[in-house]
Amino acid sequence: MNWVIAIIKVVFIWTWCLLWATVMTWAERRGSAMIQDRLGPNRAGPFGLFQPIADGIKLFTKEEFRPKTARKILFNLGPILFAIPAFSAYAVIPFGDKIVIGGKEILLQVADVNIGFLYVLAIGALAVYGIVVGGWGSNNKYSILGGLRSTAQLISYEVPWGLALLAAVFVYGTFDLRQIALEQTGTFLGFLPNWGVFKQPLGFLIFTVAAYAEANRVPFDLPEAESEIVAGYHTEYGGMRLGLYLFGEYVNLYTLSALCVTLYFGAWNLPYIDMSKFLGPISYGIASFVVFWLKVMVFLLSFIWVRWTVPRFRYDQVMRLGWKTLIPLALFNLLITALFIQLTV
Amino acid sequence: MAKPVVKKKYTLTERVYLIEIIKGLGLTFKHFVFNVKASFRPGPHTVPTCWQYPEDRREIAPIFRGAHMLMLDDQGRIKCVGCGMCAKACPAQCITVKRGKVAEGEESKYVGKTYPEEFVVDLTRCIFCGFCEEACPKGAIVLGPEYELAQYTREECQLTKEGLLANYYKAKEEGKLKPPKKPVPVAASAEPVAKKAAAAKKAAPKKVEAQGAEAKGDAKEAKAKEAEAKKAEKEQKSEG
Ligand code: SF4
Ligand code: SF4
Repeated sequence: MNWVIAIIKVVFIWTWCLLWATVMTWAERRGSAMIQDRLGPNRAGPFGLFQPIADGIKLFTKEEFRPKTARKILFNLGPILFAIPAFSAYAVIPFGDKIVIGGKEILLQVADVNIGFLYVLAIGALAVYGIVVGGWGSNNKYSILGGLRSTAQLISYEVPWGLALLAAVFVYGTFDLRQIALEQTGTFLGFLPNWGVFKQPLGFLIFTVAAYAEANRVPFDLPEAESEIVAGYHTEYGGMRLGLYLFGEYVNLYTLSALCVTLYFGAWNLPYIDMSKFLGPISYGIASFVVFWLKVMVFLLSFIWVRWTVPRFRYDQVMRLGWKTLIPLALFNLLITALFIQLTV
Repeated sequence: MAKPVVKKKYTLTERVYLIEIIKGLGLTFKHFVFNVKASFRPGPHTVPTCWQYPEDRREIAPIFRGAHMLMLDDQGRIKCVGCGMCAKACPAQCITVKRGKVAEGEESKYVGKTYPEEFVVDLTRCIFCGFCEEACPKGAIVLGPEYELAQYTREECQLTKEGLLANYYKAKEEGKLKPPKKPVPVAASAEPVAKKAAAAKKAAPKKVEAQGAEAKGDAKEAKAKEAEAKKAEKEQKSEG
């Protein structure tokens, strides 16, 4: 029985992530159009909502082109290596509290492991292999440059990211993401919601900036900077291989947003209101899921919003920001947090 | 001499950058809200900067020069004498003229003693330079206002005598035969579109419309329009 539930959960959250990754491509195109005084794709279906379907059909039916000089195995492996971590990172992030059906308590989380945190970090770092392997396998200087940039960027930003998360771990005292979410009920200092962002404002800032870099999003999209290196690591890709890269990126965004919500924005908790008090067991489960998802959506949309506001950094600026600003700041944050905990506990 | 680059001294808030980003986000958000509101307006012309082409045509400037017309004089006679000057002058060599003698009894159809038996303008090669128009001693070939020239086959792009005359009749019907002596500002000719939209509008999206007009650069008209709309509202209220 347990494994049936597990499979249902896996399938559900995959479909859900995919669905919203698809909708995101639409939101990205229409949203950017609206920001830039354009209209965007508005012909396919109402408001152009079927555009992602049309795009999908196009990507699937396109010729699977592979350049003659590309390394065949690596070239095919790249998108797969990129997509697998993207699709599996979500496993430990809760997407709601729990739902009770027929006296059976089901946690709305694929796997409640006590090192969930480390799992996300490790899997997130794996995604860069997809980019490097794809870039190397394409046997094209722009692709390799893109891959290298991605590696350097990831190494640089993994450090402040990890330090910011470490400070969060200090606060919560656990690696278990579900436990972290549960700790964020009630109020903080008597009037604020007991959310991580109020205990770790600096940590949240560093986390967000580093998350943009991790996800290769503008202003940190140097691995695919169109104006400099054509399309970076996916210059040579087309058809569904390119589709996997693009899709993986959006799924990554979903995971990062969910992680951010879990750590800093109280997961499924509403401020000042305890939903579990007045909702039935099933409706509570659904409500917690919806609240969590809405919060994630806010972050997803902010990814788009930032993308169409800020221009891309120069490469040296990215490195300087990472090593000279974010890492000292993150260390400072860690120091303050540690001191605070030492003095109060 | 090249101008020396002066490095701007950044203030502290500018150096922090995050505050500037938030300012930028505010700016893009303003555009976003404005355009989303605008895109719910009735009619094909929603976002002020976009013309959704087949449904929503932009007024072209009156001095625009598109496909050629073969001119007729006041008595409806073809002005062209088939001299071939235009073909000689054409830098793209896309005009083919074949001269023919006007037959007996057909003098009322043509101005001269000769006429163009065959007159083809190859629009796939034409660069719309207007040299043919300048070269013609009779003022018989003129570039007209027609600009929708896309076709499915190359053959359809060969503008024959019938096509040239059809262009003439069409332009005559629309009163666009001769470009105006003085240039007419484009904004004025785009007015009918805006008016149509204004007529179909209720009280709520009025602001959007006003802003849209402003974006086009006629703030005065927008204000006048708003005043008008307010008046109309008052009248409605007094009626009710
Ligand atoms: S407009 Fe220029 S290119 Fe076109 S037919 Fe006349 S002379 Fe030739
Ligand atoms: S259009 Fe003018 S230049 Fe050309 S053949 Fe006729 S009369 Fe001559």
